[in-house]
Amino acid sequence: MIRWARRNPGIAVGGLLLALILLAAILAPVLFTVDPTALAPARRTRPPSAQHWFGTDMLGRDIYSRVVFGGRVSLVVGFAVAALTSIVGLVIGVLAGFVRLLDNVVMRAMDGLMAVPPILLAVALMALTRGSVQNVIIAITIAEIPRVSRLVRGVVLSLRELPYVEAAIAAGTRTPRLIWRHILPNTLAPLTVQASYICASAMITEAILSFIGAGTPPIVPSWGNIMAEGRALWQVKPFIVFFPAAALSVTVLAVNLLGDGLRDALDPRLARRL
Amino acid sequence: MTNVNLGRRDVLKLAAGAALAAPAIARADGPRVLRFVPQANLSSLDAVAGTQYVVRNAATMVWETLYGVDSTFTAQPQMCEGHEVSADFKTWTFKLRPGLTFHDGSAVTTRDVLASLQRWMVRDTMGQVIHGRLDALEAIDDRSFRFRLNKPFTKMLFALGKSNAPMALIMPERIAKTDPFQLIKEYVGSGPMRFRADEWVPGSRAVFEQFAGYKPREEKADWLAGGRHMLFDRIEWQILPDPATAGAALQSGEVDWWELPIPDLVPLLKRNKDIVVDILDPLGNLGSLRMNHLYPPFNDPRARHALLMAVSQTDYMEAVCGGDDSLWQETASFFTPGTALFTEDGGGQLKGPRNYDAAKKLLAESGYNGEKVILMVATDISITKAEGDVTADVLGKIGMNVDYQALDWGTVGARRSKKDPPGKGGWNIFHTWHAGADCINPAAYTALDAGGAKAWFGWPNSPAVEEGIVAWYDAADAAAEKAAAAAINRAAFEDVVYIPTGFFRQYQAWRGNLTGVVKSPFPVFWGVQKT
Amino acid sequence: MWRYAGRRALSTIPVMAIVALFVFSLLYIAPGDPAAIIAGDQASAEDIARIHASLGLDRPFLVRFAEWLWDVARGDLGTSIFANLTVTHMIGQRVEPTLSLMALTLVFSIVVAVPLGVLAAAKAGSWIDRLVMLFAVLGFSVPVFVVGYVLAYVFALQLDWLPVQGYTPLSRGVWPWLSNLILPVLALGAIYIALIARITRASMLEVLGQDYIRTARAKGLGLAPILFLHALKNASVPIVTVIGLGVALLIGGAVVTESVFAIPGIGRLVVDAILRRDYPVIQGVTLMFSFLYVLVNLVVDVLYSLLDPRIRQ
Repeated sequence: MIRWARRNPGIAVGGLLLALILLAAILAPVLFTVDPTALAPARRTRPPSAQHWFGTDMLGRDIYSRVVFGGRVSLVVGFAVAALTSIVGLVIGVLAGFVRLLDNVVMRAMDGLMAVPPILLAVALMALTRGSVQNVIIAITIAEIPRVSRLVRGVVLSLRELPYVEAAIAAGTRTPRLIWRHILPNTLAPLTVQASYICASAMITEAILSFIGAGTPPIVPSWGNIMAEGRALWQVKPFIVFFPAAALSVTVLAVNLLGDGLRDALDPRLARRL
Repeated sequence: MTNVNLGRRDVLKLAAGAALAAPAIARADGPRVLRFVPQANLSSLDAVAGTQYVVRNAATMVWETLYGVDSTFTAQPQMCEGHEVSADFKTWTFKLRPGLTFHDGSAVTTRDVLASLQRWMVRDTMGQVIHGRLDALEAIDDRSFRFRLNKPFTKMLFALGKSNAPMALIMPERIAKTDPFQLIKEYVGSGPMRFRADEWVPGSRAVFEQFAGYKPREEKADWLAGGRHMLFDRIEWQILPDPATAGAALQSGEVDWWELPIPDLVPLLKRNKDIVVDILDPLGNLGSLRMNHLYPPFNDPRARHALLMAVSQTDYMEAVCGGDDSLWQETASFFTPGTALFTEDGGGQLKGPRNYDAAKKLLAESGYNGEKVILMVATDISITKAEGDVTADVLGKIGMNVDYQALDWGTVGARRSKKDPPGKGGWNIFHTWHAGADCINPAAYTALDAGGAKAWFGWPNSPAVEEGIVAWYDAADAAAEKAAAAAINRAAFEDVVYIPTGFFRQYQAWRGNLTGVVKSPFPVFWGVQKT
Repeated sequence: MWRYAGRRALSTIPVMAIVALFVFSLLYIAPGDPAAIIAGDQASAEDIARIHASLGLDRPFLVRFAEWLWDVARGDLGTSIFANLTVTHMIGQRVEPTLSLMALTLVFSIVVAVPLGVLAAAKAGSWIDRLVMLFAVLGFSVPVFVVGYVLAYVFALQLDWLPVQGYTPLSRGVWPWLSNLILPVLALGAIYIALIARITRASMLEVLGQDYIRTARAKGLGLAPILFLHALKNASVPIVTVIGLGVALLIGGAVVTESVFAIPGIGRLVVDAILRRDYPVIQGVTLMFSFLYVLVNLVVDVLYSLLDPRIRQ
């Protein structure tokens, strides 16, 4: 076990950190937290103390509780976006790789989407709707799908040229079976690695969206919008921004480490493509 | 393709210090340039068709009015030499000062005045009242003109000289002929500063330059009255939406004057010996919680009173004012504290300890049964966000089911005008605030109107309030005005036209080397200089 | 090469068409009403409706799209609803700051990251390598605005070495221009350096492991000439690709950096426009950025084909 950890430090450290953070988010209510939305304007912007471990924000809410509960939102956004983009990107990529007709059309559409810088795309999509965790997830997902589908399509196309796959086609294997048995298992590795990077980037994108005011609604604490609310005061009360920033950085770091570790473990050659 | 206008001074600076210039000389600097950070972005300069405070503030530099209020709210002649009024207050005759010119060199004539007034009367509430009584608005000659009314109107001078938006600004005839609901595209006035449209970067910078042809009056300057002696060649408005950045810029001297420092940064600024922090507008602001009177639950007065019983102005004000208790006070009045018409008559329910149980009971009586209450919160403005957060909390305390919708000010502005049912695109509650200067009397006080469908958003319907307003317009003397105001206040609380969330003032902050900064409801730039 | 370049260029047309359609339809179904904002705080519902109609916001979709495309083709990106200036003019006013920020960040990042990546690859497995990779991962993980605020706090407020905010045009002097850009470039560059350093290291590692390199070393050639002559050239392909892809990152990051440091650039323009639903500005800027991105990728692909002839088939 220790030897495995030493050989795969990325997965070990990253995975452990992430697991701890996940646990904290799930167990939020029992981790000495109070209601993260409870207002107390008379006690606003108090610095960290025994009563409020991370201090209070501009409305007197306990920052420690908000950060712990906020982890839920950021993690949900990160994982949901990673999962959704993987699934949708997989479907699109496989379809494009197999159906010639769709390939041109779909890839052009994906190129078009990719031409719009992802932040702009996400902000524009958010401007269409009301701020909510759901909409943030959808907006970021749409912005990230093109890259995943490109990746999958690339893998599918290169797999199709492999001798044993050509043999299987020649032998008359039906396409769905082909996909299931030969194509899918080989896309899992790059897809997983990519998914971890997307998870990290989604969490940061959510923070940026909230920072410019186009993200999760203020009534739902997320690291992004705790920072957004506290940004005006960073010079006098830096702790309001510091704690969620640290939490976000550590979590993204953990996910990135995990991603790197997975990539090294699963296929070092992926390092070039990613 | 940058639009940097290189004046001679800039070219010399470039030549002298091209590679060695220290950061301080980085921008047009010096004692004749004022760098001001306004309260919001300047999106247009039409202060008649658009009523944002920031637009009005900029407009006071570029345009003038026939009369101008001084610090006692008395209208004094500005563009006019004087006036004559008939004994029955139905005929008003005015004469312009000689030698008034616009920035494009043309002289100001009565044709320009008439066109400007026609446009203004369409948009302004007092102007609409005048228009409703107008038989004719006619020019007598190039410098004289006359209003002929069919009903007496005593407050003509105030209407022409008020600082509340929209002001009766005088523009060249060709510009004044723009549809009152379209924004003007040319910014030419007769005021002490001209607007440099070629240097305007919307969202970032607006530049005003001294107009050499301006001839100030001889009297001492006092708000909009008296002589406007401009001691700067150039005023740059720098739009810095991030308060942390603005605060840092003021501390490092990159800007000279910050109109709305957020209350949390004020102690830091006060500690800085190069910065002066003070309240420049003693008339402050009235916070506002507006309910939708057209639909349940707040169409029932009992539900409105339940909310009135539960809200705590202390909570609102602490949140809005950043914990600085010297900035706010509770107020059981719809009128500005410290002004002539202020009265707390009828406001008992707002005062004293809060009674949530009684509120819940009253709410139940009104027939409320757990329906969703749509609360629109503009989260991009600190005042409305603070108010919205506190209201969400209060609604929860009296057992209401809150649908907190985080929006931006623009969307709130759009949706609040919709009379659709709350479930179908409408709303139940939104927040705003009104400058104290707009709440001194019913004249410019659109938010107080309670004419039902014709009232301001929320559409409160209170015949008693409407009667009180008419009584005020017809009041013959100060005592009658006060009585009318008291009646209005009582009626407004009886029918809960809206809920005042408290009275608060705001600081302004400027560098210590600025002298001549005066207390006023809008920033006054004339008379200010940098030493 | 020219034939390849030509083919690649042609293939950008359908992409841009899709972007145009997407950008345009995105805004058409947007809720929120700019008419209400123009009307101001005291306006009535009738006022808003009147302004709404006069802005032409209620004509059918295809008509508006066709008109818009025709205007864009002639260089007319429309007029801002709020500022009454043409979008082209507004972009023009703000091009210099954003371009300065992006170009400086690009140059700075490449200059710092490539040597770092090479160094890490050369000393693969050592503590230097680990340190560089750690910094790279940190660069990815800490949000841009946090880095920005920390830098501003330390260098501008506490030490007073650099200005806190704003932008000085190059025409006013090289040092003033630079002094305003140093902190933003550092903040924005962190993530870019991380990206490039990683890819450089990975590509270099792959190349260094190849047979002909080992042969050269066995023949006694020193490490330095090998690295910089052979390895870097071969490793440059993915590096150049990543630089192209990273422009999208730069644009996104520029939006945030411009907000923190109050730089009057296009990023801030578009964020303001989106929150205010200023349709013409949003359309014009997004189209412009997309065009820029497509152009950069075209250049990258052509460069790529120059470096690796196999691609041209």
